[in-house]
Amino acid sequence: MAQIEIDGLVLNVDEDGFIEDPSIWNEEIAKALAKTEDVPELTEAHWKVVNYIRNYYLQYQIAPMIRKLCKDTGFSLKEIYELFPSGPAKGACKIAGLPKPTGCV
Amino acid sequence: MITPNKAKDLTPLPYRILDDEEKVRKVVALIREKAAESRMFKLAMECCTKCGACINACHSYLGTEDPLNIPTKRADLVRSVYKEEIMPLAGVLGKVAGGIGVNPELLEKWFTYFYQCNQCRRCALVCPFGIDTAEVTIMARQILAELGMVPRFNVGIVKNMVNTGNNMGITKPALLDNCEFLEEEMYEETDIKIRIPVDEEADIMYVPSSADFFVNTNTMIGVAKMYHAADIKWTIPSEIIEAANFGLFFDEKVMKEHNRRLLECAKKLKAKKIVQGECGHGWRAARMYTEGLNGPLEVEIRHIHEEAAYFIAKGIIKVDPERNGDVVYTYHDPCNLARAGDIIEEPRFILRHVVKNFVEMTPNREENFCCGAGSGLLMEEIMETRMKLGKVKAEQVKKTGAGYVVAPCSICKAQLPLVFEHYKLPVEMSGLMDLVGKAIIL
Repeated sequence: MAQIEIDGLVLNVDEDGFIEDPSIWNEEIAKALAKTEDVPELTEAHWKVVNYIRNYYLQYQIAPMIRKLCKDTGFSLKEIYELFPSGPAKGACKIAGLPKPTGCV
Repeated sequence: MITPNKAKDLTPLPYRILDDEEKVRKVVALIREKAAESRMFKLAMECCTKCGACINACHSYLGTEDPLNIPTKRADLVRSVYKEEIMPLAGVLGKVAGGIGVNPELLEKWFTYFYQCNQCRRCALVCPFGIDTAEVTIMARQILAELGMVPRFNVGIVKNMVNTGNNMGITKPALLDNCEFLEEEMYEETDIKIRIPVDEEADIMYVPSSADFFVNTNTMIGVAKMYHAADIKWTIPSEIIEAANFGLFFDEKVMKEHNRRLLECAKKLKAKKIVQGECGHGWRAARMYTEGLNGPLEVEIRHIHEEAAYFIAKGIIKVDPERNGDVVYTYHDPCNLARAGDIIEEPRFILRHVVKNFVEMTPNREENFCCGAGSGLLMEEIMETRMKLGKVKAEQVKKTGAGYVVAPCSICKAQLPLVFEHYKLPVEMSGLMDLVGKAIIL
């Protein structure tokens, strides 16, 4: 557990940089987390992916299947990596305030 | 020294984090206890003659070039304590040469080095005394767990397993949503309604890796298509969509509970056969340990490749290798399939029928090398070590000239793309059932 400060915002994050409490999340937190993920600015495309992931998580308490994420947002996996260099799991899910997807992944 | 992050809260493991004094006090008693329980562990402690055969057999030593990753040298981290404190002449002959003494620094070294062994058992192949150093790693990690030293990564997985019956934490509603989506995808591709039946009574209970519902979805699709084409009633159990038994790596209680849950689900669904999906160590835990953990065994336990090989051999399903193109494929043997898992020829039989060009890597079969992430070494924080552990595998793949590696195990599927990227190999990768799914004629 660590505290990081980005643009005046103080966040509690775990050792992987994912927010400690996934239930506390908003646009400002997303923007701050994006900075830690090499995403200097969240465009409309970024928000489409982030909001999809966030809504799925709120409904199902888990990150969405990557293939479904691609299908429903209309982005290919390649495009998702272009938006989020760390990828859908390590990058987009982090910015969406989810816990880090774990298991054999 | 790169080392996994330790869990600060061990829930739901039945241990607590001991302070340094308690740890040092307990460790000798724990070693003595485990040596009494496990003949293989005792053998490893007492019978090594330092012949050196294990040195060049081990990808961990070859990749990290750290002498403490030589199997017998790593085992010495425990053996030195055993020889000083436990063996019959302990204390009489004075301090054993090279004895490190029992102290917190030693236990930190255990934690670092026993999480640099992949429990691949390649050393066991070459040892003239049959010592299986993986068993030393497993026992050392067990002792560390009982002292309260467990990677945070492992605890997170155990927590998910307890809450949802799988390592990723996929809830039942999410599973149903995922299955519905995959069924739609298959319909879109084939114009055929292919089902993924969940929690239905059936002779066959298929246990996928939970990663097959997050990232390795083509493996799940391949299996669904196969059972559809074979016209066989099957189901997946929502309460345990997890072939991977993490307890095998570091805690027997966790291993036993996972296994108990597996058998309970099979009973509920009235299954006669459990079919394990593409997971290496999960196969070993289910096939080899069930009888001892929760026996007697009342159902058959088989691997999905045994099913697929049978269906292809008997003409029950038809496959067209043209559909998998002209690229050259090679096959990576997951450690727990090829070494004492007896799943060696079935995947090759299948592969030869679903692709046109297949070349073996060298060495192969039971002598093949680990991907470098075996025994759950998938933590982000040890990535540098993981890439060193994957060095020998990268060299093997490069030598084949292949453009595609088939690796039917979730841990391998998570590790290998990173290894290939790191060593700049422009190689694709997937499971084996993925290719069956592409080649199958419906």
